[in-house]
Amino acid sequence: MLENSAIKVSDLYKSVTTQEGELTILNGINLDVKSGESVAILGPSGSGKSTLLGLLAALDSPTRGEIVLDGVTLNGLDEEGKAALRKQKVSFIFQSFMLVDTLNALENVMLPAELSGVNDAKQKAQQMLERVGLSHRLNHFPNQLSGGEQQRVAIARAFICEPKVLFADEPTGNLDGANSDRVADMLFELNRESDTTLVLVTHDLQLANRCQRRLNMQAGQLSEVVSASDNSGEQVMARSSAAEAS
Amino acid sequence: MESRIAWKLFKRELLQGQLLLIILAITLAVLSVSGLAQVSERLQLAINGQASKFIAADRIINSPVPLDEKILVKADALGLRHVASMQFNSMAYSGDAFQLVTVRAVGDGYPLKGVIELSDGPTDKLPKADQIWYETRLGGILGYPKQLELGNANFSLSAEIARLPDAGFNPFASSPVVLMRLQDVPKTGVIQPGSRVSYIHQFAGEADQLKAFEAEVKPLLNNSQRWIDVQSGDSPIAGAVKRAERFLLLASLLGIALACAAIGIAAQRYCQRHFDVVAMLKTFGASSRQIRILFGLHLLLVTLAGIVLGLIGGFLLDTLISAYLPASISAYSPPLFRPIALGVATGLISAFMFSAYPLMRLLAIPPLRVLQRQLEGIQLGMWLHLVLSLSAMALLGYLYSQSLVLTLTVVAAVMLLGVLLSLFGFLLIRAGHSVGMKTTNPMQLALAGLRRRARQNAVQLVGFSSALVLLLTIIALRQDLLDEWHKQLPEQSPNYFLVNIAPEEQAPLEAYFNDNSVKATDIYPVIRGRLVAINGEQLISAEQAERGVDGRVGISRELNLTWRTSLPPNNELVSGHFNQKADEVSVESGVAERLGIGLGDELSYVIDNQPLTVKVASIRAVHWETMQPNFFMIFHPDALAPFAYTSMASFYLDDSKRPLVIELIKRFPTVSIIDVGAMVKQLRQIINQVSLSLTLVLVLVLLASSLVMIAQTEAGMATRQRELAVLRTFGASGWLLRMATALEFALLGLIAGLLAAIVAEFTIYLLKTQVFELVVYMHWNWWLLAPLAGAAIVALLGTWRCRQLLRKSCRQLLQG
Repeated sequence: MLENSAIKVSDLYKSVTTQEGELTILNGINLDVKSGESVAILGPSGSGKSTLLGLLAALDSPTRGEIVLDGVTLNGLDEEGKAALRKQKVSFIFQSFMLVDTLNALENVMLPAELSGVNDAKQKAQQMLERVGLSHRLNHFPNQLSGGEQQRVAIARAFICEPKVLFADEPTGNLDGANSDRVADMLFELNRESDTTLVLVTHDLQLANRCQRRLNMQAGQLSEVVSASDNSGEQVMARSSAAEAS
Repeated sequence: MESRIAWKLFKRELLQGQLLLIILAITLAVLSVSGLAQVSERLQLAINGQASKFIAADRIINSPVPLDEKILVKADALGLRHVASMQFNSMAYSGDAFQLVTVRAVGDGYPLKGVIELSDGPTDKLPKADQIWYETRLGGILGYPKQLELGNANFSLSAEIARLPDAGFNPFASSPVVLMRLQDVPKTGVIQPGSRVSYIHQFAGEADQLKAFEAEVKPLLNNSQRWIDVQSGDSPIAGAVKRAERFLLLASLLGIALACAAIGIAAQRYCQRHFDVVAMLKTFGASSRQIRILFGLHLLLVTLAGIVLGLIGGFLLDTLISAYLPASISAYSPPLFRPIALGVATGLISAFMFSAYPLMRLLAIPPLRVLQRQLEGIQLGMWLHLVLSLSAMALLGYLYSQSLVLTLTVVAAVMLLGVLLSLFGFLLIRAGHSVGMKTTNPMQLALAGLRRRARQNAVQLVGFSSALVLLLTIIALRQDLLDEWHKQLPEQSPNYFLVNIAPEEQAPLEAYFNDNSVKATDIYPVIRGRLVAINGEQLISAEQAERGVDGRVGISRELNLTWRTSLPPNNELVSGHFNQKADEVSVESGVAERLGIGLGDELSYVIDNQPLTVKVASIRAVHWETMQPNFFMIFHPDALAPFAYTSMASFYLDDSKRPLVIELIKRFPTVSIIDVGAMVKQLRQIINQVSLSLTLVLVLVLLASSLVMIAQTEAGMATRQRELAVLRTFGASGWLLRMATALEFALLGLIAGLLAAIVAEFTIYLLKTQVFELVVYMHWNWWLLAPLAGAAIVALLGTWRCRQLLRKSCRQLLQG
């Protein structure tokens, strides 16, 4: 079913060299995310969630294993190739928003469109900001916006180039309850409308439960959480990636 | 598209003040270079213009034989104005009276610079054919005749000369000068083959014409032909101008080096600030090419802003300075091309070469930084940064000074300074290792902070103390140069010289001075004599040596000798002891070096056809620039007692007391009076102009060092914020944190000030002994003042930069 896969990961390893020796962060990951699917990756700090996200989004290279993103095998790509791929197919939302402090909301949203050479970047950005309810905040700078508003700007920026896959790293991590819900609503609404594949790393079970699939990362290995309604976090190993790899 | 983003980022960052530091640093570098080039060129032109009046031209060729016509053709081709004249000695007769005179026969157009002062005021005319103008004292000697006979020709005396512009300062010129037309010389018939004549060719023109002329013609001259310019040492201001030029150049180079350092620090900060932006852009798929173009353009915009502001600043500076200068000087306007070109080159070279390394790091930021914030990409060697920065400094220095030696010296000094300071600083900070870590006492917290950031602090120390070292050096040198010049020309320095005072006139003259409350210098006896042998070896003249005669070269002319038992003022004993016995002589150091004379050598003279042999007992250094009677050879009184002598003295007279001079001429008709008042005035003006330029350079260096210090306090703000956040969280009070921050910076400033005092003393010692020939002394007050000032300045700057961090709440700090 490779045609329907937005992300296909086979036998993925990532190790780094530290002062104490080699440290394995990802230990044989296998994963298949369908196009248009929303997937949450849960797990304790240091389990390797963000590392996996970096690899899936073509920001980093694995030690071993293969990643296919929207039909393109990442292994063969150099940095420039990866950048071009990200430009065409991928977008991001970060916990710390990562807005450019010196640009206003509109200019921040325009940025990816301008990099991609979109002609009507300004109109598109205006429309996107309107959709996230910030049409009255176009000329405000990040430090003049609340955390929730900043993340909404980031969401508008993430969707402006109509990405195939959206990676979100703790998108509500820096927000309080009400803002967190509003941002999550917006994210899932836009995701549905644009039929984007969403890969989301979070500690927030509530947010994770809004995704179609939930995966748990533990000591560099990934396992599927069985029931969407199970908020206690009880997990069953659906496919032991380590076993499959051996 | 990239250009649009670059422009947007630039515009926003500019308005939000984020680019202030780097633009200011570039502005200052451009302003220093273009402004200083403009101002110093204007002053240089003015000084040279003033100085030219002392030699009545810009350049002179003095030749014992008629000058090769080719040289004059070259001068014409280059568009230089020139005038020929001859100078020779001849006997002038008037009835039965006669006197040896110095004849100056000049062509049309003399003088090219300055004016002839007659007894009734300045004139732009020349004597007509068959007329002679004569120096006042000749009238006194010959009894004010109407006609004068020179060789076979008769001349009428038509005007009294007070001073020829190129007469120079030679109170010993024993024979009075007469001025006549060049075309009248043949009819006198005094010039015969073998006659001793100086053929003087004076040239005037624009700086570039003169430069081209010098380059072409100077190599063609033989040893007996002298090339003279305002700095050849013949004019009394030569020393002042030379030193001022060297100082200006050095100070400007140091100023540029400082401004470059500020750019270096600001560039680093500029790039660090963009780390996240680059990571984010890369994450959204920006290619390396796009990022290169974007930040290249961004930096170009920043640089252009700095250049434009710098050029405007430079122009304003020049306008401001010109407004303070007398109209005669501000009228000298140098071409604008060089300052502008230098300014633009400075901006581009400094911005791009100093930013190259931080920019490379910036471009290498991995996109993964968006997830792993500590990532900084490749760490290129610091050596690359150093090599690039030093090359930029050297390139700029060379462009500005056109002197490779001076540039390399400054770069080497800056390098040495950096190494020394970082080593010292690191050791000093590490020395405080034993101090505790309690967080209740601001001092302990400050010391702990200093130690924790030892490496970063060592770098900051280099910045603070180099800024202070250069500032102290420039302050000290400027003060010493000004003091020196003022010592040379103190208020009431002599404006009249008296020569040919007969021994019997000495007492009445002193009485006359006393009666009229005129303060005269010591009266010096003068006897003329010729040095004929050194240690029994007969001396030959330079002309003989040129003709191939073998032997030791001496001084071709008669010397003015005097006697004294005490060292004259403005003289310094270099070696030996000053005349204690009758057979001892003291020799001036320059002439001793030229003739190879040392202590204990036997010098033989012929005075009034009688031989005299004495031993060299001392070597003296003489300040020739002082308007005082100075001598090559000073004897013991007993040695010269048998010879007839006249005396000389100098005195200061206020303009209001001028009638006393006229009275003096009447009472002592045989005593010659030389009026050097005009020359003293001109000298003062030149010194004032030079002082102004020195102050200007000082202000620029001060600005540059402040900027370096401000830029330096920026470093490490992020770490500081994290630490403050932690301390705040654990309950440290606002007062404690403010005090600790202020104290930490104050301690850093204290160490920087102390280091600066030590290094500045050493630098000043080197510069004074090797470059400026000034007296060396220690600046003990600095050892206290520099650390205190350093502590105060750095503490103020530091707390000012941290004020926002210190005001933030715990939550804001943690979030930041």
